[in-house]
Amino acid sequence: MSKKPYMRVEGLVKKFGPFTALNGVDLAVHPGEVHALLGDNGAGKSTLIKILAGVHEPTSGRIFVEDQPVQFRSPRDATAAGIGTVYQDLALNQLMSVTRNFFMGRELKGAFGRLMMDEMDRIAHDEMLKIGIDISDPGQAVGTMSGGQRQTLAIARAIHFGAKVLILDEPTSALGQKQQMEVLKTMMRVRARGDIAIIFITHNEIHSKLVGDRFTFLALGQVIGAGTKAELEGEDIRRLMAGGAEIADLEKELEEI
Amino acid sequence: MSDRSEADRLKREGWFRRTVRRPEIGSFVVMVVIILGLLIASDGKAFNALGLKNNVKIISQFGIIAMGAALLMIAGEFDLSIGSMIGFAGMSMAMMLKWGLPFGLGEATPFLAFFFTLAMTLALGWAIGTIVVRSGLSSFIVTLAFLFFMRGVTEVAFRLINQSTQISGLPDFKQDSWFADLLGGEVFSWFYDLWFWLGDRFVQMGFERDSMWFLLGGNLNRRGEQWVEGFDARFLWFIVIAVVAWFILSRTQLGNWIYATGDNKESARANGVPVNRVKIGLFMFTAFCATMFAACQVFDTNTSDAAKGNLMELFAIAIAVVGGTLMSGGFGSVLGVVFGAITVGLVSNAVFFIPAIDGAWFRVFLGAILLAAVFANERIRKRITGGI
Ligand SMILES: Nc1ncnc2c1ncn2[C@@H]1O[C@H](COP(=O)(O)OP(=O)(O)O)[C@@H](O)[C@H]1O
Ligand SMILES: [Mg+2]
Repeated sequence: MSKKPYMRVEGLVKKFGPFTALNGVDLAVHPGEVHALLGDNGAGKSTLIKILAGVHEPTSGRIFVEDQPVQFRSPRDATAAGIGTVYQDLALNQLMSVTRNFFMGRELKGAFGRLMMDEMDRIAHDEMLKIGIDISDPGQAVGTMSGGQRQTLAIARAIHFGAKVLILDEPTSALGQKQQMEVLKTMMRVRARGDIAIIFITHNEIHSKLVGDRFTFLALGQVIGAGTKAELEGEDIRRLMAGGAEIADLEKELEEI
Repeated sequence: MSDRSEADRLKREGWFRRTVRRPEIGSFVVMVVIILGLLIASDGKAFNALGLKNNVKIISQFGIIAMGAALLMIAGEFDLSIGSMIGFAGMSMAMMLKWGLPFGLGEATPFLAFFFTLAMTLALGWAIGTIVVRSGLSSFIVTLAFLFFMRGVTEVAFRLINQSTQISGLPDFKQDSWFADLLGGEVFSWFYDLWFWLGDRFVQMGFERDSMWFLLGGNLNRRGEQWVEGFDARFLWFIVIAVVAWFILSRTQLGNWIYATGDNKESARANGVPVNRVKIGLFMFTAFCATMFAACQVFDTNTSDAAKGNLMELFAIAIAVVGGTLMSGGFGSVLGVVFGAITVGLVSNAVFFIPAIDGAWFRVFLGAILLAAVFANERIRKRITGGI
């Protein structure tokens, strides 16, 4: 794809004391593409996106947004630069309504700090409808929604508040089959807008192949493979998922036990 | 493939079902039962002119501090220092009124005594809140420390400066000072004037003074003069605090932040809610409520002593819970707390109107409805969070 990357990182290193969680990671994300970030548990995926989201500061390495070097000192900085993160726990409050969650921390207010509730209800409903869910009652508590609906709420919220890079941390991992597909459809609707880059973190090979345009594989804090869908063969993906080990080798090892 | 969408699965409920599922409904029903029961058991005395005034007084006292406790609880914290804060604030005001302002700043007017005290209690509330959010310790233990600390400071200060742990016989400031009158005087006298006028009509129509109708309809003493002049000023402050709390909680950005902070502070923080400032602000709000409680008492009775406000922190929390506030935070309503304050206030006063009962039944009752309320609240929480 010819478009320039919206964001790119170079040589990102993150150390937690003596422990090196990331050891020089490069990554570039393009608008209108799904960039699948894959790797085993503990590979450093969450650490990488926490740096992109401004939660952690990198030990070294650089981040560029639209070719300008940036430094995120807080999640606020990252949000302002157009990085919208949807964490595994979604950062939703169960006891509160859809609308109150949608606008949490960024409420629309009129005179005396009064909430513009009708306006907020309408926006929350419309934004969620755009990416595929028609909620009948924006006053519904989030605790009563399905996992897929919650994902959609969190994604719609990030987009409404100006995300140009949407980071989804294992959005399908805690869901049932049907809801996983709903979330993948939602991602494709966002992708179809063309102006948003999606970073899709998963360790589900099938899901990544269904929606991914570009792939980066992490193992032990390092990139062990990267490329577009065309550049990578299906076999490659499986091998890289396993952290570089050949499935055939693994089968052999298992037999030896 | 059917054309059913997710939206079809949640049925919008009718008005009636929505109403009975409101979180306040439990405390509302209990309140109505108590009002009716008390009306019958006391032969209407609990709601005659003087009975109503006395009941409203205690309801307002409970309501003022419960409002502070409830908002803080919704944000996920407790304040056990409310009672000691009442004692401290009362001591501070009475002492300034008797011995003058600190640092030799001269005579204290009621206005100055109140504001010097409020400045101190707000600073204490700020300190408590800051310790809680900075240390990450449970507010239960931090405020328990302040419960002892401030009660001790109150007694020590009393003995050092005043030699005795009580002050009585202060001048009746509300006679001359509009400010003292605003806190310790009487309000809504039009209500009692109207009641007197109505009672007069009853007499002229030939009703007996001891008939049921007259008890509720008359505000006349034996000589046929007006009996009660007005409600205690606390009532006004209770209404003001409740209305402001209701508006903030349900209609403003700050209200959304309070709910968000108590529900899940990590997700609130991730969305840019200033969680720590919300909490510190609410610790200051409970300190404010305690100060209002104390100020109304001092300017009403012109006395103070070191034991004032004892156990009030526990009543405040109990009322908040009876009113439907979740112990775990994130959920609760001002209206529910008002119902809770009315219920608990009426029952605590019931012994004065039904002399046959033992006053200790109040605590038996409070314990029982507290337990019932906790179960009811837990059911509501489960319903909302889908049983998790
Ligand atoms: N705050 C931290 N302090 C110390 N070690 C951490 C911290 N966060 C993550 N790690 C370590 O970094 C490694 C990578 O973790 P993570 O990024 O969560 O992996 P992934 O999301 O790919 O499963 C893990 O070994 C984890 O224990
Ligand atoms: Mg992870």
